[in-house]
Amino acid sequence: MTTRIEIDFAPAEGAILRLVGLIERRGFEVVAMDVPPMDRARSASMALSLRARDATRRIETLDAQIRRIHGVSDVRHRAAPAMEAAS
Amino acid sequence: MTAAHAHAANDPRPATGARLVVDALEREGVSVVFGYPGGAIMPVYDALPGSKLTHILVRHEQAAAFAADAWARVTGEVGVCIATSGPGATNLVTGIANAFMDSVPMVAITGQTASHLLGTDAFQETDIFGVTLPIVKHSFIIRDAADIPTVFAEAFALARSGRPGPVLVDLPKDVAQASVPFPAAEPDRASVHPFRPDPETISAAEAMIAQAKKPVLYFGGGVPIAGAEEALRAFFQRTGIPAVATLKALGALPTWWPGYLGMLGMHGTRAANMAVDGCDLLICVGARFDDRATGRLDSFAPRAKVIHIDGDPAEISKLRHADLAMAGDIRAILDALDPDTVGIGDWRAECARNAVRWAMRYDAPGSGVYAPALLKAISEAAGDDFIAACDVGQHQMWVAQHCRFARPQAHLTSGGLGAMGYGVPAGFGAALADPSAKVFVVTGDGSIMMNIQELATIRRYRIPVKIVLLDNSQLGMVRQWQELFYAENFSEVDLSDNPDFAEVARSFGIEAFTLDRRADVPAAVERLMTTSGPILCHVRIDPRENVWPLVPPGKSNAEMMEP
Ligand SMILES: Cc1ncc(C[n+]2csc(CCOP(=O)(O)OP(=O)(O)O)c2C)c(N)n1
Repeated sequence: MTTRIEIDFAPAEGAILRLVGLIERRGFEVVAMDVPPMDRARSASMALSLRARDATRRIETLDAQIRRIHGVSDVRHRAAPAMEAAS
Repeated sequence: MTAAHAHAANDPRPATGARLVVDALEREGVSVVFGYPGGAIMPVYDALPGSKLTHILVRHEQAAAFAADAWARVTGEVGVCIATSGPGATNLVTGIANAFMDSVPMVAITGQTASHLLGTDAFQETDIFGVTLPIVKHSFIIRDAADIPTVFAEAFALARSGRPGPVLVDLPKDVAQASVPFPAAEPDRASVHPFRPDPETISAAEAMIAQAKKPVLYFGGGVPIAGAEEALRAFFQRTGIPAVATLKALGALPTWWPGYLGMLGMHGTRAANMAVDGCDLLICVGARFDDRATGRLDSFAPRAKVIHIDGDPAEISKLRHADLAMAGDIRAILDALDPDTVGIGDWRAECARNAVRWAMRYDAPGSGVYAPALLKAISEAAGDDFIAACDVGQHQMWVAQHCRFARPQAHLTSGGLGAMGYGVPAGFGAALADPSAKVFVVTGDGSIMMNIQELATIRRYRIPVKIVLLDNSQLGMVRQWQELFYAENFSEVDLSDNPDFAEVARSFGIEAFTLDRRADVPAAVERLMTTSGPILCHVRIDPRENVWPLVPPGKSNAEMMEP
């Protein structure tokens, strides 16, 4: 099953690397990713489609782990069909 | 002109970014930093003389990070370590990972290649920001010297807030050298809102506890991190619920209190593991169901409901489903809980009987030194101010099993990372942090060699740590596993060509002696206790000695092995 997760975050140096790295390390495969153009002064957002690498991985735990990253202001997730990767 | 400006005008030190770094550390109340200089961090070292900071020059950057880590654990403040770019920064990595795994507040400052050279494979350029991304709570590269005050204020606030952790600040050399207006304005600081537990959840938890016939209190490193030991002790005394500790929580309850059953897990006591196995309610406080504590997870506390109390919401139900969860200030939550536990008398009696039945024994045969008995004697002689800074291996587990601990953070250990080399630098970090403590380093003949150069640091600053080196001429813990789980196929564990460690210590200018007879233990303990400066006791022990009991890998905690 694929889960769509949307993250609002402060566009600081390394923020995307930090978020994607955490998601991968915590046992989720990124199958698609959409990052709209970022306005440096404001909050940025990105949406990802994720697939758990094994049955023990809970999206709620990942959600909480993303929330504790400094600069993340909101996280939303829901089960969804895999979206297309941004071109 | 303000007083600060008048001072700045009289101060011969140039107003640079590096000066702002030192100023920021002083504003945070930092008194001691651990570090090692080099090219890219030289501007900061140039700004140190004349500051209020005491710099401890280590002999390897890993030791700077470990010492800062122990400093932080003992003081509850943020530990600070400093290194240059490239190899200096990469040498910090193990120490940063250690602080991350054990949730220790730390700020690591690294020099960096000048901004215009970044990304060009310049001399001593390493992307330490990238290297450490998975092992920091947060990290910054400072691009503009004007940002230094706010970045440092944020770094310290992040390191110590919520679940603490290490924060890396990478400082390009040109930023450190840039001229800046001085002093900088006081940065804004976020206000902290007091946490209040939800009364309905507290009532629900009290009802669950009141219904339980066999509750167990399972507490972990989150308790000392939150400074919640008094609240834990009061809750334990109020309720009488039998309690078990993780490695990182040893001392949060005095280890001799009745009803405290000892450490749980792989090398835990049988009484602790069997209580967890038999309980119908597990009250998990500041612990995270680590695999070393739980054994096979699906057979851990198999009949129990779980109440999980933690400072970090991300730990709730991460590995074990919580029937009821409370995330927030552990202290406030424990203080609010006042359940009725009158019905647990039989269970308490059963746990108490088991504690006596399965108590550790010290009647080992032979006339050689029995390490568990020696460690017990040392901790009892040192009393309530005893702190043990451990390395990793059998000796670490013996300390956890046999020592008397009266205070939290008295067993300083690399719990999550399990990094050999932690003991010696952690020992002097702790001794500097609390000069009234009686700090012992307990190390092995394998582990001490990972940071043996730090004997020079101990000697230079005459730090009064007592080093107890348990020498079994083996990588003992690995040898034990090869004996038990790899059909005695002993592979690369022999260290019988070790140097004479007492001679090594003396060559560093540290008093040392060797102990190999059981009859000499009382005199050795006395000598360790009465020597005012640093001293190393080289203890020769039986290479075949193992740590018991033991939960074999992949087994449930109820399936403990004994000799
Ligand atoms: C840096 C590091 N490398 C390897 C290990 C794996 N390891 C765990 S215990 C151990 C043996 C430790 O030997 P020693 O310090 O002599 O202690 P003993 O077990 O003999 O008490 C080893 C190699 C580790 N934990 N840390």
